[in-house]
Amino acid sequence: MNDPYEVLGVSRNASDSEIKKAYHDLVKKYHPDNYADNPLADLASEKMKQINEAYDSITRARASGASSSGGYQYGRSGASGGSYSYGYGYQGASGGGQYQTVRELLNSNRLDAAEATLNGMPNRDAEWYFLRGEIAYRRGWLDEARQNYQAACSMQPGNMQYRSALQNVSGAYTPYRQTNYQQSSDLNDACNICNALLCLNCLCGGGGCGR
Amino acid sequence: MFGYVRPLRPELRIRDYDAYHAAYCGLCRALAKRYGFRSRFLVNYDMTFLYLVRASVRPAAPTRRCFCPARPGRKKPCLCDDDGFARVAACTVVLCYCKILDNIRDSGFWKGLACRLLKHVYRRPWRKAEQDAPEFAALVRTKLRALSELEAAKSPGMDAAADTFAAIVAACADDLPDEAIRRPAQALLYQVGRHVYLCDALDDLAEDLRTDGYNPLRYRFAPTQTGLSDEDLAYLSQIMDSGVNLAGAALSLLPVRQYGSLLENIVYLGLPAVFAAVKTGRFRAGAKEFPRKENPS
Repeated sequence: MNDPYEVLGVSRNASDSEIKKAYHDLVKKYHPDNYADNPLADLASEKMKQINEAYDSITRARASGASSSGGYQYGRSGASGGSYSYGYGYQGASGGGQYQTVRELLNSNRLDAAEATLNGMPNRDAEWYFLRGEIAYRRGWLDEARQNYQAACSMQPGNMQYRSALQNVSGAYTPYRQTNYQQSSDLNDACNICNALLCLNCLCGGGGCGR
Repeated sequence: MFGYVRPLRPELRIRDYDAYHAAYCGLCRALAKRYGFRSRFLVNYDMTFLYLVRASVRPAAPTRRCFCPARPGRKKPCLCDDDGFARVAACTVVLCYCKILDNIRDSGFWKGLACRLLKHVYRRPWRKAEQDAPEFAALVRTKLRALSELEAAKSPGMDAAADTFAAIVAACADDLPDEAIRRPAQALLYQVGRHVYLCDALDDLAEDLRTDGYNPLRYRFAPTQTGLSDEDLAYLSQIMDSGVNLAGAALSLLPVRQYGSLLENIVYLGLPAVFAAVKTGRFRAGAKEFPRKENPS
C-alpha cells in the first residue's frame, strides 16, 4: 500500500480543495469510459480502487482531526466518503447462451477462443457483428472493428450499445486528457466566444432583455 | 519505416528536449559500445521512444558528457544506462538488418546492390544481436514472413498487415518481468507500431501506385492515381485518432517515474502531427517541424 498523498500526486500540506481537484482529475483520467472494451480495463479499475482508497483515507484522517503526517490507515475502507465507484462489464446483455459464452471469453481476454466460437455460429445477426467488432477492438484492429460495428448498427439502429461502440472508433469520442501540453488554439477559442456572444446578442438583444 | 515517432518540437519543454537528446545520444553510444562503430548509424527516433517507454518506469540514470563522432569538437550530454539500453540496442540492430533484407527483396538490381553491401557491413552486429535477443529475432522473422505472404496475396486487410509490424514493436517489451508494466507497455507499443506502419503506407502510396508495389491502403480503399479520396482520408484519420486514444489510455496506466510529459508529448501531439503532415505530403517534403535530418544543436 502506498502513501495516499503520493497516489493522488499532492503534497502532504495540500489544502482540501487541492486534494479534491487532484482526485477528480485522476477519476476522470482512469474513468471506466476511457477503458470500455479495453483489455487493460482491469488495470484501470485497480488504479481507480487505489485512488478511491487514498482519497477516503485522507478525508477520514483529516475529518477526525488526526495530523496529516502518517496518520492514514492501511487497507480497504468500509463506508466510502462520497467516492466514485463504477462497475465494469456489460449491462443488459441479451441473446442466446452462445453469445453469453463469447462475452465471458471476451471479458477474460481469450480473444482467439471467442473468435472461434463466433465463427462456428450459423446465424449472422447484429449481435454477431457487434461481438466480432468487440474482438477486433480488443486486438487494436480498429478498421475491422469499425466495419463490424457499422454492420451491427445498420441492422439494429436503435441499439445504444452498438451506437456508442461505433462512436468510440469513429473518433467522435475524445477521452479526458490530463496532460501538461495543450495545443495552443487561442484563435479558435476566441472565435467560439465571439460566436457565442453574437448568438446571445441575436437571442436577447432584440427582446431588450434586462429591462 | 523510421522517423515517424517523434516529439512535436514547438510544444516540447526545454528540459524534455534535453532529456530526449541525452537518450538519443545514449542509444547511439550504447550501439557503438555493443555492436561496433558502424552500428552508430542505426540510431533513430523510434528506438529512442522505445527506450523512453522502458526507462520511464525506472529511476533516472546518470548523464555524462561524452565524445560524439558527429561533432568531434565538443562533448555532448549522453545518458549512461548500459542495462537499460541493452535490449533496445539489440532490437535496433535486428530491426534494421531485417529492413535491409526487406529492401534487397523489394528493389531491383542496382538499388539492391547498395543494400547487399550494407547487408555485409552489418552481418556481424546482426549475429551478435541475434544471440542477445534470440526470441525477438525469431519473432521478427516469422512476422515478416507472414507479412510477405499477405503482400503476395494482395490482402485487403489493412489491420492484418499492420498487425505484423505492430506485433514486432510490441515484442520489444516482452522481456519486462512485471505484468503491471509489461501489459500497458505492450499495448502502447502495439498502437505506436500500427501508427508507424499506416503512416508509412500512406506516405508510400503514390510511389506504390506508380510502380505497382504492394500497399495495404491500395487494396483496402481502391484509390485513384492521385491518391485516396477525401472521404477515405477522413475515415483513415478517424481510425488513426482512435489508435492514438488507445495508445494514450495505455500510457496512462504505465507507472511512470520519469519522462512522463515527454511521452505525453510524443503520443498525444507527435503522432497526430506526423500523420497530419504525411496526409498533406509535408512530411515527405521535410516540413519545418519535422526536419528529415537530425540537427543537434
